[in-house]
Amino acid sequence: MTLLPTDNPTAQLVDGVMIYIFGLSLLLLLGITIVTIYFVVKYRRSRCPEPTSDVDHSIVLEAIWTVLPTLIVLTMFWYGWVNYVGLTEVPEGAMEVSATARMWSWQFEYADGRRENRLFVPANTPVKVRLQSTDVIHSFFVPAFRIKKDMVPGLETYVWFEAPKPGSYDIFCTEYCGVGHADMITTIEALSAEDYAAWLVADAPPEHRGLVVLREQGCIGCHSIDGTPGIGPSLFELAGSPRQVEIDGQTTEITIDDDYLIRAIREANYEVVQGYPAMMPSYDEASLNNDDLQSLVDYMMGRPDTTSAPLDGARLIEINGCTGCHSTDGSPSIGPTFQGISSRDITIIRDGKEVTQQADADYLLRALVDPSVETVKGYPDIMPPSDYLSPEELDAIVEHLLQQ
Amino acid sequence: MTKTPLTNSGFYSESPRSGVLGWLLSTDHKRIGMMYLGCITTMFIVAAVLGLAMRLQLFTPGQHIMTAQTYNATFTVHGIIMIFLFIIPSIPAAFGNLLLPIQIGARDVFFPKLNLLSWYLYISGAILAILAIFTGTGAPDTGWTFYVPFSTQTSTNVSLAAMAAFMLGFSSILTGINFVTTIHRLRAEGMGWGRLPLFVWTLYATAWIQVLATPMLGITLVLVMLERFFGAGLFDVASGGDPILFQHLFWIYSHPAVYIMILPAMGVISEIIPTFSRKPLFGYWAMAISSLAIAFAGSLVWAHHMYASGMSDFAILVFSLLTFIVAIPSAIKIFNWISTLYKGSIQLGPPMLYALAFILQFAIGGLGGLALGAAAADIHLHDTTFVVGHFHYTMFGGTGFAFFAALHYWLPKFTGRMYNHKIAFIAWGLLFVGFNVTYMAMQAVGIQGMPRRYYDYLPEFQTLNMVATLGSWVLAAGLIMMFANLLKGMLNGKLIGMNPWGGATLEWQVPSPPPMLNFGKEDPVVTRGPYDYKGVKADEF
Repeated sequence: MTLLPTDNPTAQLVDGVMIYIFGLSLLLLLGITIVTIYFVVKYRRSRCPEPTSDVDHSIVLEAIWTVLPTLIVLTMFWYGWVNYVGLTEVPEGAMEVSATARMWSWQFEYADGRRENRLFVPANTPVKVRLQSTDVIHSFFVPAFRIKKDMVPGLETYVWFEAPKPGSYDIFCTEYCGVGHADMITTIEALSAEDYAAWLVADAPPEHRGLVVLREQGCIGCHSIDGTPGIGPSLFELAGSPRQVEIDGQTTEITIDDDYLIRAIREANYEVVQGYPAMMPSYDEASLNNDDLQSLVDYMMGRPDTTSAPLDGARLIEINGCTGCHSTDGSPSIGPTFQGISSRDITIIRDGKEVTQQADADYLLRALVDPSVETVKGYPDIMPPSDYLSPEELDAIVEHLLQQ
Repeated sequence: MTKTPLTNSGFYSESPRSGVLGWLLSTDHKRIGMMYLGCITTMFIVAAVLGLAMRLQLFTPGQHIMTAQTYNATFTVHGIIMIFLFIIPSIPAAFGNLLLPIQIGARDVFFPKLNLLSWYLYISGAILAILAIFTGTGAPDTGWTFYVPFSTQTSTNVSLAAMAAFMLGFSSILTGINFVTTIHRLRAEGMGWGRLPLFVWTLYATAWIQVLATPMLGITLVLVMLERFFGAGLFDVASGGDPILFQHLFWIYSHPAVYIMILPAMGVISEIIPTFSRKPLFGYWAMAISSLAIAFAGSLVWAHHMYASGMSDFAILVFSLLTFIVAIPSAIKIFNWISTLYKGSIQLGPPMLYALAFILQFAIGGLGGLALGAAAADIHLHDTTFVVGHFHYTMFGGTGFAFFAALHYWLPKFTGRMYNHKIAFIAWGLLFVGFNVTYMAMQAVGIQGMPRRYYDYLPEFQTLNMVATLGSWVLAAGLIMMFANLLKGMLNGKLIGMNPWGGATLEWQVPSPPPMLNFGKEDPVVTRGPYDYKGVKADEF
């Protein structure tokens, strides 16, 4: 048995209260036990055939053992409450990470959009973890830091902690969530300042080509990307939103789509958004080639970068929690193993009928997006739909699986 | 020793109908009580076997005798049976039925037919619960708490299990109504409120919780079924519902239910300690009032199960404060029991040993509860095996041991025969050691951080889990020895007289087993208190 060290701020808050209450309780318990044993031995029937006192009540005693315990438990209550408040007060300047729990995996998302299935943090830095669940109630529990909070669908909760030194700390799911509950374990990986800085750079997802182009061309000088007003309209959340534009002095409403954006760049002052001066320069092919223009439009429409390296299916199945239920080495688990999935016959149940077939790309895609329509025989119908993945990510996963 | 068969005396021989129907259609409180006792004990043994199987799976990390799904179904069924079919009805329905009318000098409960209906509801609930395990889409796997949204999504047989709990709730409500009425209306001449045995006082407090809190359970389970069958959306965020609302509704019943489970056990202990000390219970009125105080304050603390749920901090402040308040009447009880021993004439008969074990184990459970009631400490301990150890200390070390104490104390009264005392001592020793090893280890591994409801665990939790499993084997040996000894005693133990222990309450002034209608032709007139042992002599046996 290993004792958990009290070497970090949240553990100190909790351990203070636990030691106070357990310590006093032990004293009380010892007192109760000793007095009981003493009475039982001293007044045993072989020694005292009849009672030697018939006292059967005492107002004074009753008052004492009502008031004293009241005072004692009120101190316990207050200490417990004050330190609980400490657990809810995130220190200023804490780093923020989002955690998503689903049956039965964890996903952590960083400010730059990077996703991981373990929580990498710098040591000696307070970290606030925003908690959410996509399906049932889970709970985020780190024994080393004595923190725990339920992750409730539709409600964002949070915890904070500060890892005292580099190392690996267990995260358990501690709200019962079904068959994979006991395997819903991951770790906080606390890194030294240098290691964390290196990790940040090493694994950082490449920036969207469209964003790079926006910067290179100086667009951000007039158009903000986060919604703050500027000389020109902001580029924040453009896709599909309506705009009042003026064409030759006539006002019309248009919906922002690829064509509009391309026109607005190539022939900048043909349509002018109402309320803004017609002063944007046009960009012809010499100053902005077609590929970069497409990246720019993709970025503004909220689509992924098509110019970057292809998505890594193996990494996607890991960070999206697929391996929580599907092994990659053939060992049995909650769902069928991924090993050899494309080359073996599988028996699936569709509309109550059994069908045996090979897993092709179409089947795998259906199984990802709508898993309960066709379930594999012998496995429970419990897989959550992976509808939160983009089409590109789904394709990358299917492609990866087909190579298994 | 004469070999009179059990069925030849007292209420066993007098019945308008003979054979099985004489039992199944009987409205006699003793026959109904014995039927409850048989069913409840059977249910306890079934669920205990499931508990032992879980401990076996947890002996070392990895999957041994159960898969994750089997383990989840096992702890769910263990919980449902232990809570709804054993602990809640154990003392009130079985011993309450056997003793309440006799202890207040009545010939039966106020509504005998309703009493029989309660038993049939209990049996129907039990059958539904068993059907839920073996039929349909697999044994329920939600835990006995049925938390949404998991319980509305899982494909297992949750609806049938919820129906069973619903039915058992009604059995409990009807018993509560019956007992409250009986205590108010059927006390014998001279049986004033100040002469009620403490067991009756605790049954009275319990009955009120049963009547007032149990309907919440029924409503909540119906809502879960509406959610499952019609997608009612009350607990579903996407439809404007709230999963935390379910937890409030569930615990508004299920926390007071904890006091339904523990109060009658406290009553049992309050009977046994005076008898085996030959001294009046210390602080009679403090004990009676603290029972009512527990029943009242215990209804206001439900959300202390939810500090980590995402509920508001203000709610945590209020519920933490109220939780500490409810600790006070429990402490008062412990001090009064111990004071009863002072300058008494203490005999360590088997019931007394169980009663003393109760005091120690209930104190450990209660003190552990203080750590869980304190907001900061609970954040670490909540939903770990510490909580599992804690409530087994109160429910098993407390109510379970009080149930065993009651069996050893009152079973001879209702069978007319005594069990072997030497074997009873050894069985008690095994149970005491096995219990404390098992659950102390479970509490310790919870402090270390092991979450509950895990069929598999990380290697750092292994030592304590092994200790807990070893303890469970000692516990099992004690249970086997205790039940075998009691059964053998029932069938062919020594015959006993009216009063083997020297008790002063009314049940010791009628034959063992008592006759139909309890008190001959004349109605009893009560002239002395329940703990007035002057001139009371124990029969030799």
